This record gives sequence, structure tokens and C-alpha cells, in this order.
Amino acid sequence: MAVRNTEHRWGALAQLFHWLIVVLVIVQVTLASLADDLPPSARKVALLARHKSVGITILMLVILRLLWRSLNLTPLLPDTLKPYERFLARFTHAALYVLLFAMPLSGWMMSSARGFPVSWFGFFTLPDLVPKDKSLYATLLTTHETLAWVLGAVVTLHVAAALKHHFMLRDNVLRRMLPFTTTPGPKA
Amino acid sequence: MIVTRAAAAARAAAALLLVAALLVPCGARAADAPGISHYGLDAAKSALEFTFMQAGAANKGRFTRFQVGFDFSADNLAASRLDVTIEMSSADTGDQERDDTLKGADLFAAAKFPQAHFAASQINRTASGYEAVGKLTIRGVTRDARVPFSFRTATENGAAVGYMSGKTSVRRLDYGVGQGDWKATDQVGNDVTVSFTLRLIAH
Repeated sequence: MAVRNTEHRWGALAQLFHWLIVVLVIVQVTLASLADDLPPSARKVALLARHKSVGITILMLVILRLLWRSLNLTPLLPDTLKPYERFLARFTHAALYVLLFAMPLSGWMMSSARGFPVSWFGFFTLPDLVPKDKSLYATLLTTHETLAWVLGAVVTLHVAAALKHHFMLRDNVLRRMLPFTTTPGPKA
Repeated sequence: MIVTRAAAAARAAAALLLVAALLVPCGARAADAPGISHYGLDAAKSALEFTFMQAGAANKGRFTRFQVGFDFSADNLAASRLDVTIEMSSADTGDQERDDTLKGADLFAAAKFPQAHFAASQINRTASGYEAVGKLTIRGVTRDARVPFSFRTATENGAAVGYMSGKTSVRRLDYGVGQGDWKATDQVGNDVTVSFTLRLIAH
């Protein structure tokens, strides 16, 4: 598989970014729900510390991913799409990128507002994005949680669309993001 | 006769005074040692802070209630003393939930051990200032501790004041601050830096 994208297929690096972020988002949801149920404890501190470190990792990956996207071809959408489907696809992907920025940023801001500096796996400490502020913290907590549900909804739409393309429309839209598959042409 | 008796009584009294004057500096009460000034805390202009690692980042807290007794003479370090008592329930890290956890049974256990205490009966001169050598008690555990500090005196509005500042490191687990899963040091570090800047008033 080529490293770069083609008109008909995502390259190795774009796929790596995509699937790595998928895995890390699942890790994030898991860490957050485990921590959510706990009373203040060392385990909760540990889970949230990892949640923050992984979140910053996602933020860094999304920045690199968008840079790579901008330096690359973007595989074309199938010609068979209706205009509203084309719009929905563009909108969903844009929303995913926005949310992948907004989630870690709102989390980072939330931690700053709480007065807890964010460290990346203990290697370095990030600057505080906002000053310590109780009511701002409460607002950001609600924002972070709301955005998580919105992300869940958009991801559901994204996955449903990918499965529709694969099983109903029988085009290569899903396969071209999968490693270990071949995608001969625009309409395989 | 009367004159002689009075003179004898005066001599006896003088002898007693002399004995007393000789005895007192050797006694337990450093308060009466020559040259020693007795300082108390100007709480409004003093700070006692601690810095700890939480989740890989440095976090700060402070104690808002503590007392300091400092008997000091640079020329009489042998009779100098430092005594600090800290109210553990006054710990303030700027986060209510964290403060409640900190004062709870697994960490400070402030209900059972309301005070931490540092008592130094030895003050040494060091290259950069002084060092108080004594016993530090936290959470009911007493250990030897050395606290380096600097001290300078000043006269402000006719009052003799002293400025003391210093920094030391305490390993929380040495004192049992961290029971159960708080014994782990990967998320909450063992080393806690304690720093202080105190304004003391002579009385």
C-alpha cells in the first residue's frame, strides 16, 4: 500500500491516523466512564491523568492528520452520490474533525479552569489555557460532556454511512480506508 | 548591731541573687538565655506552602492556620529554638474536593491527627544561613528532620521583626500520608516540597 493517498484509496499514513484515532477515542470513552463512577481516589486520579494524556495525544495526531491531508489528494466521493448525500458526507467529516479538536481542547481548558495542570504522561506539563475559575469549570465540564455525546452521534452516522456504502451500495468507500484490501477502481 | 544585721541580710540576698543569676541560663528555660529574642508569628504576612506532583504536574497548596515560636540569637545558637505547629484541617489546595480527600483518613487523617509539629532545639549555622535540627511529627509519626532557612531582622515602626524563609522536602510516605491505594507514588509523588516565608514579631 502506498504511503500517499490516491484518487481512489487512502494511503498508509492517512489510514494509520484514522485507525489510531479510532482506537484512542475508544480508550478515552473507557477511561472516562471508569473514572466517572469512582469517588475521589488514587485510581480516579490515575485514570483521569491517562485520559488527559491520551486526549492531548489525539489533539497532536489530529493536527498532524490535517497537515497530511492538506499535503495530499483526498480520495473522491463516488459519482453516484446525490447532492444531499455529498453535502452530508462533507458535513459529517468536517464535524468529526471539529469535534476531534474541540474534545481535547475543552478537556484541557476544563482542567486549567479546575486548577489542575495537564501533564502529557508525566513528560511535560502543558500551559494553562484559562485561569482557575469555578463557574467556568462547571460550564466547560458540561461542554466537554455534551460534545462527547455529539461526537458519539456523528460517529454513529459516519459508521452507518460506511456500512451502507459497503453492504448496500457495494462501492469501495469503506474498503479504501481498510488496510489489507485491494481497491482496483472507482466502482470495484 | 541593727546595721550589722541589715548588712548581713543584704550580703545573703546578694549571694542568692548571684546564684540565681548563674543558675538560670543553665536551666531548661531558654527564654531567659542572654541575647535571645522571642518571636511570634505575624500570620497575615506569612505563608506556609507545599508543592506536590499530581498526575505528572506540580500542584500547590498552603496551610492557612499555623503557629510559630522562634527563640533566637545569632550569637547564642545553642539556646535558640524553633517550634512550628500546623493545623492540618487548614490545608488549602484551591479545590474543595481535593482538600476533603486530603484531610480524609487515608491521607492527613486530620480528625485523628489534627496537628503537625516541628520542634527544633538545635540551630546550626550553614554556608547560606541556618538549619533547624529537630523532630517532625505528621499523622502521629515522628522523625528526625532538618529544615534549612534564612533569617534577617529589621526594625519597622520601632518594632523588632524578623523575616524567615526556607524550603525543605518531606517524603509523605515516611509519615504514613497515603494509605491504601494512595501508597502508590506514580500519580501522587512521594516528595512534597514545603516552603515558608514568615514575618515574625519580637515580643
